[in-house]
Formats: sequence, C-alpha cells, structure tokens
Amino acid sequence: MTMDDNKLTFDKITSDLTHHIRINKGFLIWMGFLTISLLICLYAYSLQLSKGLGVAGIRDYVTWGMYLANFVFFVAASLIGMLISAVLGLIGMKWLTPITRIAETIAVAFAAVAGLVIVSDMGRPERLAYVFLYGRPQSPILWDVTVITTYFVLSLLLLFLPLIADMAIIHRKVSTLPSWLKPVYKVLSLNFTDHPEQNKIINRAIRILLILLIPAALSIHTVTSWLFAVTSRAGWDSTIFGPYFVSGAFVAGSAAVIIAMFFFRKNYKLQDYLTDMHFNNMGKVLATVSLVYLYFNINEFLVPGYKLKRADAVHLHELFVGKDAILFWIVQIGGLILPILFMLFRRFRKPLPIMLISIAVLMAAWVKRYLIVVPTQEHPFLPIQHVPQNFVHYSPTLIETLISIAPFILVLIIITLISKFFPVIPLHETAREKGIEHIKFD
Amino acid sequence: MRFTKLLFIIFIFSFGTRLSAQTWVVPDDQKAITAPFKFTPEMQKQGEQIYLKNCQSCHGLPGKDNWVKLTPPPGDLAKEKAQIQTDGELFYRITAGKVPMPEFRNIIAEDDRWWLIAYIRSFNPKYIQPNPVAKAAFAGRTVTLAMEYSDPMKKIVVTATEQLKDGKTGPAASVEIMLFVKRYFGKMQVGDIKTTNTSGKAFFEFPADLPGNQEGYVDVSATVNDPKNAMKTTPAQANFAIGVPTLKPGLTETRAWWSTRGKAPVWILLTYTLSVIIVWGFILYIVYSILKIRKLSNG
Repeated sequence: MTMDDNKLTFDKITSDLTHHIRINKGFLIWMGFLTISLLICLYAYSLQLSKGLGVAGIRDYVTWGMYLANFVFFVAASLIGMLISAVLGLIGMKWLTPITRIAETIAVAFAAVAGLVIVSDMGRPERLAYVFLYGRPQSPILWDVTVITTYFVLSLLLLFLPLIADMAIIHRKVSTLPSWLKPVYKVLSLNFTDHPEQNKIINRAIRILLILLIPAALSIHTVTSWLFAVTSRAGWDSTIFGPYFVSGAFVAGSAAVIIAMFFFRKNYKLQDYLTDMHFNNMGKVLATVSLVYLYFNINEFLVPGYKLKRADAVHLHELFVGKDAILFWIVQIGGLILPILFMLFRRFRKPLPIMLISIAVLMAAWVKRYLIVVPTQEHPFLPIQHVPQNFVHYSPTLIETLISIAPFILVLIIITLISKFFPVIPLHETAREKGIEHIKFD
Repeated sequence: MRFTKLLFIIFIFSFGTRLSAQTWVVPDDQKAITAPFKFTPEMQKQGEQIYLKNCQSCHGLPGKDNWVKLTPPPGDLAKEKAQIQTDGELFYRITAGKVPMPEFRNIIAEDDRWWLIAYIRSFNPKYIQPNPVAKAAFAGRTVTLAMEYSDPMKKIVVTATEQLKDGKTGPAASVEIMLFVKRYFGKMQVGDIKTTNTSGKAFFEFPADLPGNQEGYVDVSATVNDPKNAMKTTPAQANFAIGVPTLKPGLTETRAWWSTRGKAPVWILLTYTLSVIIVWGFILYIVYSILKIRKLSNG
C-alpha cells in the first residue's frame, strides 16, 4: 500500500466514522423529546418522593414490583459488554471490532442507570449511603452495590481507553466539530500521538480490563440472582439462579446490541462497516445464548414441576395455567422458542428481520424479569390476615409505570450522547485493521 | 335476570354488613359492670401511659382521628361510637379482645384496664361516672404455690397452700398444677398436669436430659391450671441445678451468616475485602497509567 492510498483510505475512514459528530436539527429534536419525556417521569417521581411509596402499587405482599423487575433487566442488559468485548474478544474474533464500542456503550448506559433504578424503590433515597456505611458483609445487597459500582467503572474505563486515540484524531481532523467542543476532545485525548509507548500502555490496560471484566460481570448478575435465590420462596429457591440469570442477561444484551447496530447503521450511514455479515454473526450469537437460556429455563421449571412441592405447585400453577399464564407463554414462546427457530435460517439473520426479532426478544426479556420478581411474592408462606384486596394482587399504578419508564429514557439519552459525540465504531482500531500502521499527527 | 342478580348482591351485602356489625356482642351481665373505684386525674395519667404503650399503635391518639386503616377499622376512641358504650362494655372488649384486636386479659392488669377507661373517658366532657361498686369479697379459693427440689426423691415438689375461712392457711388439696421450664423462646411444659394430694403436694419427675446453663441450672415455674379463673392464684418460680450443664452461646453471640455486621464470619470479611482491594488496585493502576499517557506525548 502506497503512502497516497494510505492517506486516502484513512481520510475516508475518518470521514465515514465521524461525519455524524455535529449538532444538527434531528439530534436536537430527538434530545428535546427525550428530555420532555424524562421531565414528565421525574414529576411522577417527585410525587412518590413527597407522598411516599404508597403511590406505587407495591404493598405488604408484593414489595418488589416493577421497580425491581426493571433493576434486574438493566443489570442484565449491561452484561453484554463482557460477552462481546471480553469473552468473544479475548478468543480473538476479529469481526467484532466494529461492534465492541456499541456493546460497551450499552454496558455503561445500563450499568449506570441500574444503580438509579434501585433508588426508585426506596422510600428514603437519601439513605442510600447507609448501604455502604452500615452494610453487612454477609448480605448480598452489599455485594450487589459493590459489584455494580465496580462493573460500571470497569466498563467506563473500557469505553474510554480505545477512545483516547479516536479523540486525538477527531480534534485534529473533524471540521464539523463545534469550536467550543474542541478543547474537550483535546483534554480527553491526553496528548495522544500514536507513540508506541502510549499504545503499549493502552493495550496493556485494555487487556487487564478485559480479564477483570469477566469475573466482575459474572458476579454482578450472579449476586443479583442471589438477592432472590438466598430466600426459600417458591420460584426463587433455586441453585441454578446464577447461571439462569447470566444466560438470560446475554440474551437481553445481544438483542439490545443488534437493535442499536441497526439504528446506528441506518442513521449514521455505516453500511460499509456494519455489514450483513455482522448482523448474521450477531444473530448466531443471539441464537446460541437463547439456546443456553432455553436449556436453563427447562431446568428451572421441569425439576420443581416434577416434584411439585406444595408452594412450588401453587407458583407453577399460576404461571402455567393461572393468572400469569398468558404473559408467561407469550414470553416463553414469542420471546424465546420462536426467535430461536427463526434465527436458525440465514434469511432471518439479515439486518431488518434480526432487528425485529431482537425487539421481540428484548421486550420478552423485560416481562420475564417481571414474572420472576412478582408472582412469587403473591404467595407468601404465611399470608397476612385481614388484608385489603390490593395487598394480595399486585397491579402497578400509572405513577409507578412512569417512574419505571424513566430509566429507559435515561439509557437512551446516555446512548444518544455517547454515540453522537464519539465514533460509534472504533476509528483508530479500524484504521489499524485496514493496514494503516502509523497515523500522522501534525 | 340482571335485576335479580343485583337484588341478590344487595341482599348478601346488607346481610354481610349487618352480620359484621353485630358480631362483637358484649354479654348483658358484663355491660352492667362498673369500675370498682372512682376515677381520678392520677388514674387518667397512668391510663395515658398504658394507652400509649398498648393501644396507640392501632387506635391512634384519642380525638386526633389518626387510627390505622385496618379491616374492621379500629376507630378513634374519643368518638361517639366508643363513648356511647358503658364502662363494662369497654372493659369487656379490652379484656377479651376479638381478632384483629388482641386480648389484654393477661397483658394489662385489671386495675390498669380501668385506668385505661378513665383515660378514654377524659376525652368525653359529658361523661359522668356511675357509682363505683366495690368488688364483693372473693368467693373462690385463694391458692399460693411453693416449690422445692427433693434430692432423695429426685423430684420437684410443688406445695399448694390456701387461705381458709377462719383466716388461717392450710394445704390446698385437689388443685391442678402445671410445671414449666424456660427455653430459648417461651416455656415448655414438663410432664402432665398433676393434682395435689391431701397435704397439698404434687410431685414432678424432671427429665434427666434437659440442657441447663453452664452450671446446669434451669428456670422452673409452677402455675395452677384454672381455665375458668375460679381461683386467685400465686405461681411459684425457682431455679434448680438439675439440668445438663451446657455451654451453648446464643445464636447471635458467635460469628455467623445471620449475625450482625460486627460478627460476620472471618472468611466472608477476607473474601470480600481482598476481592475489593485486588480489583480496585488494578483499577487504580489503570487510572495511573492513563495519566502516564499524557507525559509520553513528545517522545
């Protein structure tokens, strides 16, 4: 490759991957819409703050309602950063390069918001710090806040490190960048000049992070599952809750990544970088993790269903043929079995069909969390006597629903901001892979 | 069709509400009972303390209408619904209770229950206390228990004495005695109910395998089995070194999963602390090397 070709290719890559970094009308409208929606939800939250948790449908029986379903879902979706970057990345799958930053962005956004979601379930949120100040080291709740904080910091670093080189390129080469933003990129790029020592440090740091990320990610979702599994209640009293949650998390996360890939490719015109091959491969990843999840589902329901201990019998009856049956079967068939069958065929792993499948899978993933959290609590071992009817059957209120929507808006805001101001696809790394060995920084 | 259904529902509903309103009936003889003494401001003050401890959690403060929303509603005791009742009715309801209202027979002493009523009545300016009727002298038996351990017999001997008509005391025969031993939570009955013999004595064999404290002491108590409250009885309590000496720390006295923060198992503390230190050590190292990138720019 000659010097001229090299320059041309590099300039083209740079312009392809950074042309969207500018403040345009579409961006402002979208952000305005998200902000207004968020404000409406925050108003609902202010009502909860002033009037108490009674404005939500949670009562003495079901104390963990939609808020906790949300929490489990957000923790789950954030796990994808570990699967894509760490597990598949360390194995050496080269096709992943353009997807890693999308996965990391999703991981950072969901992990950051997961911590906030828990606050929505607190009657006295100003006491959050007490978990650290007075937490018991024996309690999975202390482990949970510890690993979530750790995982968030690890993911943030893993998002930031490959960005250093990209920001050095952006603040020199991208002309559409608003002038007031230039100094920000300059500071964040840490005087990166593609010096071999600098690259060495970054590569080593990334490697350490990737290795740390695996136990951290496994812990965050395993510990989240233990919040349920360490109690002896029907539906939660399970020894495979850890892997059941982790495999379910990969399903939700892979679906989220595919949806994000589809919209970035379309809006930021990245067809040359996110090709049909990437969607095809991500489809295979989603199919694989869905199969693993299906396997855990069979274990999780068949074994207690075979023994039918009294409390399990009540719980399973409600899920299979009772009050929650419709939701349960929609989730299991529409969100797991049918998607697996479709994804076996190549034509359904094309961008549009796989994106639609992913939306079904992701929505089912949320409802599945709801079905894990809520029905168990409607059947306590020692029912309270003389309770009002709304203690026995949980039904979420409008305020509660609005408060539960807020985290999704926040995640969209974070993902929008990250993807709008940084290249969605790692710039420096892509250039490297196209054979551009050294980038001239003048 | 729909109309008949509606009628049926109305019928069931009215029947149901009437039923629930009428279920807690106070027997007429109880209604007529009056306090054995004249209420004084002192008693109202004492009654207030008892009220705050036992009643406020459901009924709220009298006159403030801040009772807890339960089914059936506890209601404000300063209001008419409570105040139109006789002292005897109030006394009966406090004494007997009815789910979900607890029974206070054995929780609040008889005089204290009257003080409570004195306090509740202090919120009713129209209330005039009926003339107190001093309690008639108690007609039943008055029995006092004593207890000792007889080493030669290896038995616990409970002796019952009673007040005789002539003012003297003598052995109480044919009194049913129950023996209990204290355990972690509550009491456990030892053996069956025994009846005292003509010399007022009942003999209990004590099981040889029950754990005692470090020195083998167990707390034993004897009470009279008198479900109809026909007697005035005084129970007996004692501790004897007849258990198996056992050194068993309480469930929360050692390091355990379920214990407090300060009593976490050492291995959990180590695992948790080490994991945090190792992972955050690496994170700090990475942050440090990121800062190094800046300095390498001119190389």
